[in-house]
Amino acid sequence: MQASASLGKSSEKKYGKSLIGQYIKSRGGLLAEGSFDVLLFIFLSIIIFTGLTMLYSASYPNAYTDGYDPSYYFKNQAIGVAVGVVLMMIIGKMNHMLFMEAGAVLGSLVSIGLLVLALFMGGSDDGSSIKRWITIAGIRFQPSDIAKFTLILTLAYILHRWHYLMVSKKPLKTNIGWVDSFTAGVNRKIGRPVFNESWKIVMGSLVVIGIYVGLVFLGSHLSGAIIMLLVAAVMLFVGEIRPTWIAFFICVAILMIPVLMMTGILSEYMVERITNFLSTDKDLQGGDWQTIQALYAIGSGGFFGKGLGQSVQKYNYVPEPQNDMIFAIIIEELGFIGGVAIIVLFALVIWRGIVIGVNSPTRYGALVAFGITFKLALQVFFNIGVATDIIPNTGITLPFFSYGRTALIVNLVEMGILFSISRASRMKKV
Amino acid sequence: MAAINDGMKRTSLSARRAVLGLYIVLAVFLVGLIGRLGYLTIIKGDDYRRLAEDQQYNDSVLSSLRGTIYDSEMNVLAQTASVWRIQINPSKIEDDKEMGVVVDGLSTILELDAAKLREKIEKNKKYGYLIVKNEVEYKQMSAMIQFAKENKVADIIFSEPDTKRYYPDGTLASTVIGFTGTDGNGLYGLEYYYDSSLTGVDGKIFTLRDARANELDSNNKIIYEAKNGENYVLTLNNEVQTVLRSACLTALEDNQADNVYGIVMNTKTGAILGMCNVPDYNSNDPFTISEKAQAEIDALETDEEKNAAYSNAQQLQWKNKAIADFYYPGSVYKVFLVAGAMEEGAIDENTSYTCHGTITVGDRTVKDYNPIGHGAETPLTLLVNSCNTFSVYVGQRMGISLFYKYFEAFGFTEKTGIDLPGEGSPVAGVTYHSPEISFTNSNLVSVSFGQSNQVTPMQVAAAISAVGNGGKLMTPHIVSKTIDDSGNTIRETKPEVKRQVISATTAATVTSYMEEVVKRGTGANAYVAGYHVAGKTGTSEKTGITDTKAYIASFAGFAPADDPEITVVIVIDNPKGARYSGGDIAAPVAGEVFSRILPTMGIEPTYTDSELAKLSEPAPDMVGKTVGEAKAELSGTEHVVRVIGSGDTVVAQSPEAGRTTPANGVIVLYTEDNTEKETALVPDFNGLTVSQANQMAVNRGFNIRISGSSFSTDSVVAYKQEYAEGTELELGSIITVYFRTSGISD
Repeated sequence: MQASASLGKSSEKKYGKSLIGQYIKSRGGLLAEGSFDVLLFIFLSIIIFTGLTMLYSASYPNAYTDGYDPSYYFKNQAIGVAVGVVLMMIIGKMNHMLFMEAGAVLGSLVSIGLLVLALFMGGSDDGSSIKRWITIAGIRFQPSDIAKFTLILTLAYILHRWHYLMVSKKPLKTNIGWVDSFTAGVNRKIGRPVFNESWKIVMGSLVVIGIYVGLVFLGSHLSGAIIMLLVAAVMLFVGEIRPTWIAFFICVAILMIPVLMMTGILSEYMVERITNFLSTDKDLQGGDWQTIQALYAIGSGGFFGKGLGQSVQKYNYVPEPQNDMIFAIIIEELGFIGGVAIIVLFALVIWRGIVIGVNSPTRYGALVAFGITFKLALQVFFNIGVATDIIPNTGITLPFFSYGRTALIVNLVEMGILFSISRASRMKKV
Repeated sequence: MAAINDGMKRTSLSARRAVLGLYIVLAVFLVGLIGRLGYLTIIKGDDYRRLAEDQQYNDSVLSSLRGTIYDSEMNVLAQTASVWRIQINPSKIEDDKEMGVVVDGLSTILELDAAKLREKIEKNKKYGYLIVKNEVEYKQMSAMIQFAKENKVADIIFSEPDTKRYYPDGTLASTVIGFTGTDGNGLYGLEYYYDSSLTGVDGKIFTLRDARANELDSNNKIIYEAKNGENYVLTLNNEVQTVLRSACLTALEDNQADNVYGIVMNTKTGAILGMCNVPDYNSNDPFTISEKAQAEIDALETDEEKNAAYSNAQQLQWKNKAIADFYYPGSVYKVFLVAGAMEEGAIDENTSYTCHGTITVGDRTVKDYNPIGHGAETPLTLLVNSCNTFSVYVGQRMGISLFYKYFEAFGFTEKTGIDLPGEGSPVAGVTYHSPEISFTNSNLVSVSFGQSNQVTPMQVAAAISAVGNGGKLMTPHIVSKTIDDSGNTIRETKPEVKRQVISATTAATVTSYMEEVVKRGTGANAYVAGYHVAGKTGTSEKTGITDTKAYIASFAGFAPADDPEITVVIVIDNPKGARYSGGDIAAPVAGEVFSRILPTMGIEPTYTDSELAKLSEPAPDMVGKTVGEAKAELSGTEHVVRVIGSGDTVVAQSPEAGRTTPANGVIVLYTEDNTEKETALVPDFNGLTVSQANQMAVNRGFNIRISGSSFSTDSVVAYKQEYAEGTELELGSIITVYFRTSGISD
């Protein structure tokens, strides 16, 4: 706290009178003081290093058959790591409070813009209705990778900025005549303010979440939409949403499932994937070829694995082994032991994320840290869950392992933000 | 700042409980993932690994080559050769023009019916695969492929390698060798019996491949070499087999018999040199039945009956009846009766018996075929005359248990153990009488002259050989050895003595009797000058088979009697001619076989003086002498001389010097160099006596070699000749003429 105060005094001279300068000054300066979380750094470094190594091993046969240099995917990914780590370092040094309005407003504008763009110009290789990919300036990426991140920043900002509304018990006042008279009437009848001011922030949040999730969903990215919803739910929870709201949401969610099914909003493509998963008799040539091949790879690995580089399943048996199914190749090469090590490493990163969030001096920091951490946890769980046939085949990549520079850079930026929050956090930092 | 701090404090405090819950949830997920991973890798790991390897390792078969079957002189009897299957891809035929080219090429080169082929292709137009012809030879296949290339239909017509089992002479020993099915596995005969060792073991190459079937790692290749099948060298001899089978076929035809069985084996080792039963089939075409059988089937009414009869006919023709069929040996059994009785001292060489034509045992009276009786007899004349009454008497002297002892000892109660499939298995009470089951004193009468106890031709061959082999019963065998592809011996059959049945002394005595049987008894038609054939004839009644009387005529014997090498057994099943006795019809067949194979087996004839005087001597050497000298020299002999050319000196002669020539035969002397050899046409000797035949031969300028019965009486007449009537032969050539005595009763 002392540090922040002293920073404030000298900031005027430092940041000038421009709008940005003013903004930086109002948020407590550009750079964070305090040391970053070394444990997180260590765990993350191991993951990044292992991830890059395994990507090389998993991708070179496919790079070759795709007509590239065998190290094509590896080189691209390495560039992503380099860019991402630099960004992570820079962001990790910054004062996390700077991201509040900047992250929410700019982030949402960019994300929503890209999501909408994807709906119009996006496409997929196989000509299906999936519109989650977009190519800009030669870079092909999924806008939802960025949107997941900016939704966290946006929600954190909202829940932090209007937190007083979330906990307020004052009756709702909207200045719209008929609404106010209706809500006041209900409140009077029940005897307590059922319609209170928390409606404003909850509804506001839902609108934001709805826009994000809706656009991702329209792009046929069901898993992305689900992850967003779950991350948003956790953030609302951390943002101290009342238990009555939680009960309310659960009821709505349960009611929504049949509606989604009946109205066909869940597209055939998604239904097919789910039914594929539920059928015990897997059709090898059908949609679950990928899953079966992943299981073969995992089973082939056994306890100790075949050794680094020794996977056979990566030779076109597992389709695109450098992407969603990379975990299966890892197990084939490193075995159960290697798999447990990687799961534990992710668990340790998640643990540091929670610790950083809990010890954040600001609610904003806590919300962001929880959002980022939980998003990472969900991605890891979804990805490994798919590879091990616990959950249906979705398109979730394994952070830091799967090929994809955009997702990698976004993940590293998120880690940068965790570092930046960790600098302000009041925990023991080894 | 203060506001932020304030909020933060409350947040972290109220969130602590929730955070704890979060940790628990994450821990559950963590454990769940690790548990699932452990289940997949450790518990299900092997299953998945195996499934993965199934798809990762591409196994291609290295076919083993089926072993070749050779005769004793390494002539190929059965061999696997490369052939090709011509296939087409009908779906790739674009238009009528291309169809025309394809049909034209295939039908011309593969000799197929063009219209039928076109129809077949049209019918399979949608498919990518149609076999046009199997078992196409290399020449045709390469012509086909060349055609496909030249006419740009190489994507439509192609070939695939295959193998085919060839039998250079498919009928030679079909019932012994058997045949293979379409997939190359042995179905009958030796092919079946030694199938696994002939087949060998297919090899396999496992190569690690990616999902697009590219080989991944040439080091990661598991190769199991194919082990070619063993090659079998038989004791069977092509020449012997050819002689045997043709003799049997002639006998079959001459006698309108149902079957003729023939076995030639090495008397001392039990090695089978020839084995056949006719009618038989062609190993190259085993499923086709004989025209006669087909005609019988066509006469049947329902398809069901036809199918059953067809399959039955096939089974019947495939059967190796020489080892499978049982029959009554008839008088041939008297050899074993006498041998056993002498061995046990029940009779000796001087035992005398007077045959009155009948003998009564209990309430049963047996009549000899000679109603007057043979008069005073010894064991020698028992065999020479084939006397039934004396045999019954000897049987009675032995009694059931001694009789049975030798029936058993000569191997008639067990399989001979020959290395062939389908040997008939004797069953006590069914094929023969055993003291425990059905042997009664009444049976003893009939079994003494070879009725009522059944045996197989193979058993008789083994047992008669034991007599010729100093009393040692051998296990017959047909495989001499197996060799690998480079000719190294893998396994070799060693002659195996089963047991000493009778003493060498007894064996020698009985052998001398058997020689007499052929010299002057019922076996006279098996006589071969210079070779001392010993044998015994038999004629048995097939009881309970047909209403009309049916017989089995047989001969069993060996030669040379003083040191037996070759055993021959001939059995004629149900001859339908006027002559049906073993001596009449089976002995000449055996005689022919002996006379034709003994010289080729490297067994030197030893002529008795009387034989020499009667038959032949080495032709004297006249070459180099003047015509006058030669004529003068030959005038002292019975030779008839013919001089060809106007020269003064003999430059060549026929027969060549030293060749055995009839003492009263022709010698042709050539007096000019480069004179074309003169020829003449072979006359018909059929029905002539020895002297008539000789006269006719000399008149034409030929010599005859006499085979068969040696009696120069009117009852001995020629029935067969080496070269058919009308054959053009060089003057002085030696023609073997077969003589036989007719009217032999047994």
